[in-house]
Amino acid sequence: MDSARTEYSNGIPARSVPKSRQDSTKAPELQAVEGRNWLLHRHYSRKEFGICKILVQEELERTRGKHEYANYIQGLILRHEGKIQESLECFQICHSLNQRNVDNIKQVARSLFLLGLHNVALEAYLEAQQVSKTPDWDIFHNLGECWLRLGEHGKAKEALRQAVQLGRHERSYIALANMYKMEGEMQAAIDIYKAAVELFFLRASPDSAQLATSLGLLYLQEGKYQHALEKLGGALARDPQCAQALLAAGAMMQNHSDYDVALSKYKIAAQSWPESPALWNNVGMCFYGKKKFVASLSCLKRAHYLSPLDWDILFNLGLVHMATQQYASAFHFLSAAINLKPAHAGTFLLLAITLRHLEDPDNATEAFKQASFLAPLDVSVPLNFAVFLESQGDLEGASLQLVRFQDLAQVTPQISSELLQTSSQLSKSLNSRLLSDTSSKASATGTDANDKSHIEVEAQVRVRNHPIDSSPESEPRNNLADDEV
Amino acid sequence: MDLIFLALSLYKKRQFEECVKTCTELLDKNPFDQAVWVLKMKALTEQLYVDDLEAEEEGIAEAFMDNETIAESARPGTSLKNPGTSQGGSTQGYRPWTQTGRPVSGVVRPGTQTARPGTMEQALRTPRTSKTARPSTSQSARTIRLGTASMLSEPGGPFIQLSRINLGNYAAKPSLAKPLFLYILYHENSIRHALQLAVLATQACEFKDWWWKVQLGKCYYSLGLMREAEQQFRSALRQHQCIETFLRLGRVYIRLDQPLSALDVCRTGLEYFPKEITLLTEIARIFEGLNNMTMSVKYYREIVTEDSTNVEAIACIGMHHFYTDQPEMALRFYRRLLQMGLYNAELFNNLGLCCFYAQQYDMTLSCFQHALSLAKEDDVADIWYNIGLIAIGVGDTRLAGQCLRLAISADSSHAPAYNNLGVLELRRGRVNEARAFFQAAASLAPYLFEPYFNHAALSNKLGDLQASYIVIQKSLEAYPSHIPSQELLHALEKHFTFI
Repeated sequence: MDSARTEYSNGIPARSVPKSRQDSTKAPELQAVEGRNWLLHRHYSRKEFGICKILVQEELERTRGKHEYANYIQGLILRHEGKIQESLECFQICHSLNQRNVDNIKQVARSLFLLGLHNVALEAYLEAQQVSKTPDWDIFHNLGECWLRLGEHGKAKEALRQAVQLGRHERSYIALANMYKMEGEMQAAIDIYKAAVELFFLRASPDSAQLATSLGLLYLQEGKYQHALEKLGGALARDPQCAQALLAAGAMMQNHSDYDVALSKYKIAAQSWPESPALWNNVGMCFYGKKKFVASLSCLKRAHYLSPLDWDILFNLGLVHMATQQYASAFHFLSAAINLKPAHAGTFLLLAITLRHLEDPDNATEAFKQASFLAPLDVSVPLNFAVFLESQGDLEGASLQLVRFQDLAQVTPQISSELLQTSSQLSKSLNSRLLSDTSSKASATGTDANDKSHIEVEAQVRVRNHPIDSSPESEPRNNLADDEV
Repeated sequence: MDLIFLALSLYKKRQFEECVKTCTELLDKNPFDQAVWVLKMKALTEQLYVDDLEAEEEGIAEAFMDNETIAESARPGTSLKNPGTSQGGSTQGYRPWTQTGRPVSGVVRPGTQTARPGTMEQALRTPRTSKTARPSTSQSARTIRLGTASMLSEPGGPFIQLSRINLGNYAAKPSLAKPLFLYILYHENSIRHALQLAVLATQACEFKDWWWKVQLGKCYYSLGLMREAEQQFRSALRQHQCIETFLRLGRVYIRLDQPLSALDVCRTGLEYFPKEITLLTEIARIFEGLNNMTMSVKYYREIVTEDSTNVEAIACIGMHHFYTDQPEMALRFYRRLLQMGLYNAELFNNLGLCCFYAQQYDMTLSCFQHALSLAKEDDVADIWYNIGLIAIGVGDTRLAGQCLRLAISADSSHAPAYNNLGVLELRRGRVNEARAFFQAAASLAPYLFEPYFNHAALSNKLGDLQASYIVIQKSLEAYPSHIPSQELLHALEKHFTFI
């Protein structure tokens, strides 16, 4: 008999019954735990954290918190929100769910690192290294960073070197180069950066401009101007708005007295970084080079307003005020610079010259002595001292200092012609005065020429300004209550 | 002497109390003498009359229960709510911002202290102290004095029993209705009754009297019915152009957060009344509120050419010059204020700062000495703070530290002083103290970006990346275009994002 026939009643076929009964006894089909992982990943990688969180909640409820990937994603989102402690808990759950996954241990270690617990993080990374079968650049990189923070530079260097070999990753290169820089091995740092730039620059990775700029700055510190210019030019070609590169390139132009080009660079930089004290300082010194003293002063004052604790700016302000023959103001700025940075010979030299113009010979002598004590090898100090002593009538002292200058001048490789010219003038006048004892007027131009040599010293100092550390944000708070009058 | 004549003469001499006394005597004899009745009302009103245009202040309630604003996030430069968005305005790097999130102004007036805060929390955090007189509602702010006056028990009961009075009888008689209205509004402070009277009166004169329309608008405005107020003012302006009406209409638009319309109204007013100072002042203030300092100063300059003793204009121009690197110019303006006879701590404080930045060192300290000797309690902290800044300027960090500590002892919630102390401690290498100072500054003044940035940079250096990451985001909230903060965040994000 046809079994289906028997089901007919009233000519309408009954629903649902005819299908085979075996199916209903079967257990319901279980959804695989990892079934929606792809969705989670897609939302996460699109930064759609809101949806992602809801999905993660659903998954966690469904599996009673035993879903490894959901926990993992939740940890990542929480970390992005800055809730490291909670994200650490998520990763720890992941780790307890799946002990053999290296990623979980790595994330736990990373959370510990972000919390500043470098010791514990280090241990976790070492564990990860044991669990992982193949060597992993990420682990080595982070081991290096942990050791660096713990102060074990040797181990850190080793780990970072391995990371660089394994992974060829920008971050490792930068970290390793920074290590070398910290230890003063400039050449090694340059080599690392060079390798990194070669690797990444052509690939146009997002930070390549940064890399090239760093390399350029290193070259600049080493005095290799040609290489530096090349690299900075490359960085600017990649990212025309890169303020650091613009600033460094401008400073180099300035060094070569190419003020108009430097100013044009600064103009671009000022648009993206209008509140940088270093920028305004450099602009001010450009105007100084062009002999536009008023503009120079107002730029430098703005720099000083933005960063009152920066002694470089105070030094420059003193210099420009000297050029405008406002010696009292110059004295104030220079003494402020000395208060902030007591061990800089150049400041004392300028102070001494200022004091001479303010007609305070005793203190000027003291300042000269301090300058030569701080920088025994600086040629300009004894020469200026000699000029000063000669004008005071102390001819013996002057000739003594002149001899010191000549001794130093033989040792110093490059010496500006202005200095030599002044010294020969001075020795002539000294000789004639010693012979005839009639006071011939000493050349007052000597000191001024020496000031100029200082701008160049200063120009090198200026490049150092780039790292911006926490500047004291000074706010002159003016409030005038006239309603209360 | 005739008592009525005496009362009138006392009223003219502004001896209102005696005038009222005389009127009361007269009314005791003849309660139906309307002339005396009106005179007494006028005298009582005059005693309590305030310039409500100048004293106006928006309260917390208005700022939050505000359903008139059109756009939640307005386009840049069209709203008073977010002055940071305007083009070409001063930034926090140069000109410090006040508690309420706008650049410091040259003068303290109600408007400069009450910006609309972003959150309820922020609003409540600036409570009514000696420094931030922010009332909970504008009604109570303006009318606190008036309310108490009506509550004073007068011998023989109140002068006029508002609940018993038949407003309809008076509405038809303009000579009685107008003084009565003013009396109800200013003395009794009963806006409901005043509104009733105004409605009846304007009907009685067949909508031909602009004065009543302005009064209606005033009532609607203080009841918070902005659109109705706008209608009344506009209709009044069609009949008769009056400076007060222009100003009040402008205020309506400011309350609706439509500063550009307010500017339009004021400019129309200027066509009828060229170079009118109150209108020019209003325009300059609105521009300042929009953080468009160049335009604001332009109008203030116009004011000064008309009225060379206008304190507000001179102070604002001086302030503008100070924050645009021209301390010498600022000094001239402040000196002018001094010549005009202004003699207070704030002025000497500003003079001292200008002298310092213009390198007139000999004057600086004596100015600050004057300022300290004149200072009232709430100014002392600011003055010590500025002396601390000058100490930093001459490189004397020890003196700076002492001054900043004095500032804090004068006002324990002086956030900038905490911040600068933190920086000084950091220079000495005391990391923990520095961090504590930064945290204190940040919790006291969430509107300053400096403590956040300094704290984040310090934490970053110490390896506490989590704290740095959280704090730097707050710094960018306070000052979105701060480049070093952006760079720090960019560097930190590398640690915090992971695919």
